[in-house]
Amino acid sequence: MSISTPGGPERRPTVVSTGKKPAAGRPAAGAKAGSGKPTGKPAGSPRAGGKGPRKPVTPVKVSQGRAWGPIALFVAVGVLAAGIIGYGAWASFQGSKPWDKRANAIEGIVNIRKTDKTSLDYESHKSGPLTWKYSPPVGGAHNAAWQNCMGDVYDAPIASEHAVHSLEHGAVWITYRPGLPQDQVDKLAGKVRGVEKTLMSPYEGLDKPISLQAWGYQLKVDNADDSRIDEFIKDLRVNASVEGPTALCNTGITATGTTPRELPQQQQPPTQ
Amino acid sequence: MTAPATTDNEYDDIPAVPDEDGRAPASRYGVLALAVMVVVGLLLGYAGGLLTPRLTRPGDASVEAGFARDMTTHHAQAVEMSLVAYRSATLPEVRQIAVDIATGQQGEIGAMQTWLREWDLSPTGSQPPMSWMSDGATVKNGLMPGMANPQQMAALRDAKGIEVDRQFLTLMYAHHLGGIHMIDAALGETDNAEVLRVARTMKATQQTELNNLRQLQAQAKG
Repeated sequence: MSISTPGGPERRPTVVSTGKKPAAGRPAAGAKAGSGKPTGKPAGSPRAGGKGPRKPVTPVKVSQGRAWGPIALFVAVGVLAAGIIGYGAWASFQGSKPWDKRANAIEGIVNIRKTDKTSLDYESHKSGPLTWKYSPPVGGAHNAAWQNCMGDVYDAPIASEHAVHSLEHGAVWITYRPGLPQDQVDKLAGKVRGVEKTLMSPYEGLDKPISLQAWGYQLKVDNADDSRIDEFIKDLRVNASVEGPTALCNTGITATGTTPRELPQQQQPPTQ
Repeated sequence: MTAPATTDNEYDDIPAVPDEDGRAPASRYGVLALAVMVVVGLLLGYAGGLLTPRLTRPGDASVEAGFARDMTTHHAQAVEMSLVAYRSATLPEVRQIAVDIATGQQGEIGAMQTWLREWDLSPTGSQPPMSWMSDGATVKNGLMPGMANPQQMAALRDAKGIEVDRQFLTLMYAHHLGGIHMIDAALGETDNAEVLRVARTMKATQQTELNNLRQLQAQAKG
């Protein structure tokens, strides 16, 4: 830009001498020599003499001292990268583990499918009150009707005869001891509301404040803040279904009360 | 020409000891060859990884594809029967099991159709139905084992009152028996883990439902 200003020929030498790019400077210096301007010579001469001093390249030996800085940097970056990749691989490996392996890894979980498989057997639907080996029950005989489990939060005890049918369909049933502090109940309800294949109700006679059920699995905890609750739901909801992932949680019983109900009549009376 | 040669020599002379001079280019070739081999090896491994699932997935005439297509047809009729019963049956337990069968089997249809897509196969086969079954189970009037014929379906749709329950229970019982026969054929011949898993769930579910259907038949008689 300064070249375009008046007095160009005089300023040229200064431009050449300050030229930071040697490639650009070289042709300029050559042109100067051709034009024969005496003022240009002093600036051009150091460049022209550049051919002689090849020797300055020799001090390659200087590099023999270890440059610890870059090495440390590379090692640090390498360790960091390996850490990130390693964690990613580990996390995806954990995530891809089969659900039953993950469920079995939950501390304190009882796997009745493994320890007492026959207690889950049943012939066909049964009406009327039923009894089970585990409390709350985790599988086995059940009513023809299931309890709605579309993220339903029941504020009173429900009939296990219906809830076990929900478990068969892949629901996780959260039960808690009546009298559990309201903030704890609210925390549990927050994990259920709006989440299909879950339901929650108080349950009389629990030996722990909170108990979680899936078909063939049970976990009892003291506190709604226990992180194993989320693990249990994540690993067993839908997965624990005996009838596949699309077994229904709607069109079932929505009423509370521990006496199993007959399904509501809808149309013609069954007398015939 | 001579000038560059001398500069090269100068350059080499500075770091290298004379007897290493000859070896330097050879080892450089060795490193290059090794690098090429590693890259080619990685590419081959990658190609193998890409191709293996493609080559090992079920083909158009496979048992898995036949099962997925024919069981879709079979299930589709069960869904129709069940929705009729859900709408019109008298016994609440019959309506309850009917809606359970309808949504469950429609869900399984979704899974089987997804297999076919993943295998790059058409939902429609070029082979006649049931040809994948090695025991030579027959198609009668275009119907697979256990399927209701058009007259039976029409009668179910037109039925009233407890007749809906009775006809549905009879048709669905036969339907499940035929279905389990087909599922057994698939279980015996496939080693595809996903097909095995779903087919086992199907079989267990239908076997339990057979018991419940039989119980309801007794109830609907009275």
